[in-house]
Amino acid sequence: MALILMLLVPGAVGLWLVTGGRGLDAHTARVVALVAATVGGLAAVVAAAMRPVVDRAWIPDLGVRWHFAIDGISAPLVVLTAVIGVLVVAHAWVEQPWTDTHLGLPRGSAATYLGALLLVETGALAAFAARDAVLFFIAFEVVLVPMWVLISRYGDPKSAAARADASARFILYTAVGSTLMLVGILLLVGQAGTADLDALPAAAGALGQGPQTLIAVLLTLGLAVKVPVFPLHTWLPAAHTTAPTAGSVLLAAVLLKLGTYGLVRLPLANVPDGFARIAPGLAIAGVVGILWGGLICLVERDLKRLIAFSSVAHMGFVVLGLASGSATGLQAALIGNIAHGVISALLFVIVGGLKHRWGSVDLAVVRPALREVSPRLGFALILGLAAGLGLPGLAGFWGEFLALVAAWEPAHHEGVLRTCAVIAAVGAALAAAYALRVARIVWVGDAVPDAATDDPVAGALDRIDTRTPDTRGVELAVLAVLVAAVVTIGVVPHTVLSVTAAAAEALVGGGR
Amino acid sequence: MTLEMSWGLLLPALLPVAAMLLVLVVDAVAPRARLAAPVIGALGLGGGAATALPGLVGTGPRLTLCTPAPEGRCLWDGGPLTSTLQVAALLATLAVLALVSIHRAGVIDVVLLLASASGAAAVVASRDLGTWLVTLELATLPVIALVAWRDRRAAAHGALTLLTTSLVSFGLLVLGAALWVTGTGDPTLTGDSLATAWEVPEQRVLVSLATVVLVAGLAFKMSAVPFHAWTPTTLAAGPLPVSALLASASKVAAVGALIVVLTPYESVLGLSPGPHAVVAALVTLTVASMLVGTVMALRQTEVVRLLAWSTVAQAGWVILPLTALTAAGRRAAAVYVVVYAVAGLVAFAAVRAVHGPHVEDRRDLTAYQGLLRRDPVAGGALALALLVLAGLPPGVIGLVAKIVAIRPVVSAGLWPVAVVAVVAAVLGIAVYVRWFAVLIGEPGEDAPARQRSRRASVGVALVGSAVLVLASVLPQLLVGLVS
Repeated sequence: MALILMLLVPGAVGLWLVTGGRGLDAHTARVVALVAATVGGLAAVVAAAMRPVVDRAWIPDLGVRWHFAIDGISAPLVVLTAVIGVLVVAHAWVEQPWTDTHLGLPRGSAATYLGALLLVETGALAAFAARDAVLFFIAFEVVLVPMWVLISRYGDPKSAAARADASARFILYTAVGSTLMLVGILLLVGQAGTADLDALPAAAGALGQGPQTLIAVLLTLGLAVKVPVFPLHTWLPAAHTTAPTAGSVLLAAVLLKLGTYGLVRLPLANVPDGFARIAPGLAIAGVVGILWGGLICLVERDLKRLIAFSSVAHMGFVVLGLASGSATGLQAALIGNIAHGVISALLFVIVGGLKHRWGSVDLAVVRPALREVSPRLGFALILGLAAGLGLPGLAGFWGEFLALVAAWEPAHHEGVLRTCAVIAAVGAALAAAYALRVARIVWVGDAVPDAATDDPVAGALDRIDTRTPDTRGVELAVLAVLVAAVVTIGVVPHTVLSVTAAAAEALVGGGR
Repeated sequence: MTLEMSWGLLLPALLPVAAMLLVLVVDAVAPRARLAAPVIGALGLGGGAATALPGLVGTGPRLTLCTPAPEGRCLWDGGPLTSTLQVAALLATLAVLALVSIHRAGVIDVVLLLASASGAAAVVASRDLGTWLVTLELATLPVIALVAWRDRRAAAHGALTLLTTSLVSFGLLVLGAALWVTGTGDPTLTGDSLATAWEVPEQRVLVSLATVVLVAGLAFKMSAVPFHAWTPTTLAAGPLPVSALLASASKVAAVGALIVVLTPYESVLGLSPGPHAVVAALVTLTVASMLVGTVMALRQTEVVRLLAWSTVAQAGWVILPLTALTAAGRRAAAVYVVVYAVAGLVAFAAVRAVHGPHVEDRRDLTAYQGLLRRDPVAGGALALALLVLAGLPPGVIGLVAKIVAIRPVVSAGLWPVAVVAVVAAVLGIAVYVRWFAVLIGEPGEDAPARQRSRRASVGVALVGSAVLVLASVLPQLLVGLVS
């Protein structure tokens, strides 16, 4: 019942908002969407606690079942999605992408925007809850079109070309990934004879080394696009920079999680031997991502892009944890996943808010110190950055720390993974460097003055409009929830770890 | 020789013929009754589809025109797969008749449509080369006349292209049929005679050659690369409803004919050497069609040309599962072509609803700017059709069709072909999303005025969309038809 409500309410309301309800005025649409997101979110939380099961035949000829259930691995992600779903809809009171009129062009209706948000949430919840490999793929695809609409219609109002480019990149990269994953899933399901994720590990265990490796390569390559893992990440910064704040939050906090969740659920759980074979490559890609993301963050001028690249670095840690092949590594990946979801959501809300206030978030533009003009926003930013650099006591720490521990004592390929662990530790230092750079420029207000002359017009405009109203109302509430989550996960990581522990042990232990 | 007959099974093909004769008689008796022809035509098509319905649910063999045992061969198979394709072809023709519009459809139009429909219904059921060849031509030749019938010079040019193509195709098919009979000594398309012939190396070569030639001849009709050159010219030049017919009912007939030819191959799949030449020919067609069709569609700005190239690409997708040469592959091809036919019809109907009956100029993508806002009905139907063609939810059935199409290929071990299909699928998304993006944009200043007489087009688009929505919610309704 809770499962059905969790999927049906946001899904149906979202569909209605983008079709029949498009003419709804902004206020009604927001209330309707918020109610739907809240009901769906509550149902999701209840479902994560009660663990009901829905299992119906859907396409018997393909062996696809309408099979949803939540286990230890998906429960934290379902709760995260539910919370983020409510927050992004609430954020529509703060930022209204449908009224941003640049060059006097109206931009779509509020109902479509909110409907797209709800549909993304539905797709993500369905994917996390799906217990059938093909159903997982279909749910995975559900998020594509609404997210594309969010980026291409409601993204950065300044440049239509940038929106078209970013949205096209998003949908094409993701489609390459998901269709490769589909080939992998079909190969796996065809060889194992079942699509049921509960029965698959046992059924696929008998496969030989060759097929296992092939399936693992197809699945991992496909999902690596979504995560994203280093050389396949180039869609992410463009999408993040262009998307509206709520879109960025959904992208970072929910969609990227689909990738890592898929890595755990499909290759790691079903073809462990094949996955172990390609693990060193994955670990190296993850570490390169950590370094690459960190180095770019040291020089990137656009704050939104900077956060996007820091996401690449953080996902590098998650991938490293997965590649280690141990239960600790899996735990590290799962908590790192959740932590990154909360932290990046927090940072994107702040940075999106700043972009809304300032018009751009170019770090080279001299602006007043955030700590003086808007202390609450400044505090949240510092907290987010501190969590991002992995400060103990905040959410980011556990994922990185455990990933390094796991990579130091991996289940296989000790030499490669230990080297990776050392390099990743250096990468963590880079995170500290860029976090401090951002804090210095934005929070302390210590920008290098002559850099502003690159763009005199924008600089002058921004200097004139130096008012930065502090956060309040709904935005403050959204930030407060996220800050509380960052601190809670940091102080008592046990809340997440205890939920995932049993499932993680079963996964890593059962496959061997 | 006596043939055992079961008239009920032949009705899907016979009713359109009967309707055709009736139309001619009525026209001779009462030439002023203008509405009679389309009404009788619609009844014939609808009735034919209705008589094929029992085959969808029926279990057990539905064979007829059988020669006496023990050497008994049945020349007509009305099983679920056949019935599905028959219903699809007949209803697609009915939709095209509606698009022609009941007031404009003359006797000639109706007669030609009925002839083509009866050919389509017969060719998918035939199991011997004679019936197969004659009914296949019956399904396609009337379409040439339909293209040329309207009074446009460009249409005549398109018809000439199609005629030339059809002649070449017919030549290949006759040659292929002759080679087959020489190779197997049997004019029916059965697995047993193929398996017997397969054991002799010379006969094996001959039969393989026969099949490759037959496949090439059919590739013309399916507009698969490299036999596709007529498609963009003819579809863009001819009247829109006829283009819709070429993209839907004709496609179903051609795919059905291909399935009939490939069915015997299941019996030689496990043998050594396997049917490598046939698989290679099919793989070449599918890979070339998917890639060339999609890449060319990416560059089009004229919507009918875009749809024409997309039909080339979709032909590749239909052939994709057939490369496995298994029963699952044949069923998958049938499911895919039905989904494609419905989505294609909806797209053509929406295009007609936007531009009206006189569509020669300004069928440019820019005319669709903000259509979803200006014209939610036609725009919504078109948006859904595009998403189904792209295989993106909420057009779930399009995605399911892609899964269905890739699955037999993967299980047959041809996964490199599946990886090419991945590239094609992604490029395809780029094609359709490009149009979709125009639809959901802001309405432009110079949007064309809404057409007045467009009830039929909107009706077809809505019925088609309803089918797509229903199939998206319950894909089993469609996927389960053929098994």
